[in-house]
Amino acid sequence: MIYLEDIVVGQEREFGCYEVTEEEVMDFARRYDDQPFHIDKEAAKDSIYGGLIASGWHTCAMFMRMACDAQSGQHQMAMMGSPGFDDLKWLRPVRPGDVLSARSKILSARPSDNKPDRGTVRIQIWVLNQNGEVVMEMTSMGRYLRRPDNFDA
Amino acid sequence: MHIAIWLTGQEVGMKYFEDIELGEVWDLGSRAVSEAEIIEFATQYDPQPFHIDAALAEQGFFGGLIASGWHTCAIFMGLLADFIKARKLASMGAPGIEHCRWLVPVRPGDVLHGRTTVLALRPSRSKPMGLVTCRTELVNQRGAKVAQLQGVGMYSCRPAADARATAAVGGLI
Repeated sequence: MIYLEDIVVGQEREFGCYEVTEEEVMDFARRYDDQPFHIDKEAAKDSIYGGLIASGWHTCAMFMRMACDAQSGQHQMAMMGSPGFDDLKWLRPVRPGDVLSARSKILSARPSDNKPDRGTVRIQIWVLNQNGEVVMEMTSMGRYLRRPDNFDA
Repeated sequence: MHIAIWLTGQEVGMKYFEDIELGEVWDLGSRAVSEAEIIEFATQYDPQPFHIDAALAEQGFFGGLIASGWHTCAIFMGLLADFIKARKLASMGAPGIEHCRWLVPVRPGDVLHGRTTVLALRPSRSKPMGLVTCRTELVNQRGAKVAQLQGVGMYSCRPAADARATAAVGGLI
């Protein structure tokens, strides 16, 4: 089990390979973000984007899938979800046919001030396309349990 | 000028950057979240046990199935996209989210209501559009705030053909 104390600040990882299809771009957007440049090829051509692009939230979802896949088969994390994220930037459009991957770097791992059994890990995330261009970045957070023998419960 | 051409599809009542006011509050309405949708979203994008396996989730930290935080964000976007369409807002997408906090788990059967406040308005220096900073709160049917996020949206300026807006925008840029 990976606890807060096992997280190595500064550690970097590269993971994921997610092919973005037109069908999935439109399917996600029809449900959650049905603006013309996400669901209508003709309207998208005349928009500032010059063609269909994925919803930014779809890019977040595809990143999350890559992160989950990278973790499967690894040591189980003593993780209790995430409190949120900061400074999410959609830097470049994600288009059908793009192949996404991700990079991460652990920024900090700190015990909570008021809950002795847990702490928060901050991770810088970059999502890249097949040309190595960063399409999205953010600072994400994870809530981890501390190693049980490391605090007075 | 393709932005103007696109937007001057001449829909009557289109609301542009200049029509958005500081402090304005947008009632985004509500959307219900079913167990099937929580499991379906998470199976595709966030397959952690507490999002996809009801039996395991019962015994886990959250005491039952909860929605992926990204699903909560997607639901927020669904509400905002409906609002954009209903109000004919000239949305051009978004450059990012300054911060987002998932405060309380979203569970099957929850009904989320969105409320957005316009915090800042800034015309673009290079393009005929403006940046609108908004804070949105999502509240469940019990009145608990489940998420709060602050982000920026891009909205087209009124096409230059409209003299009133040209004057207004000209003064700002």
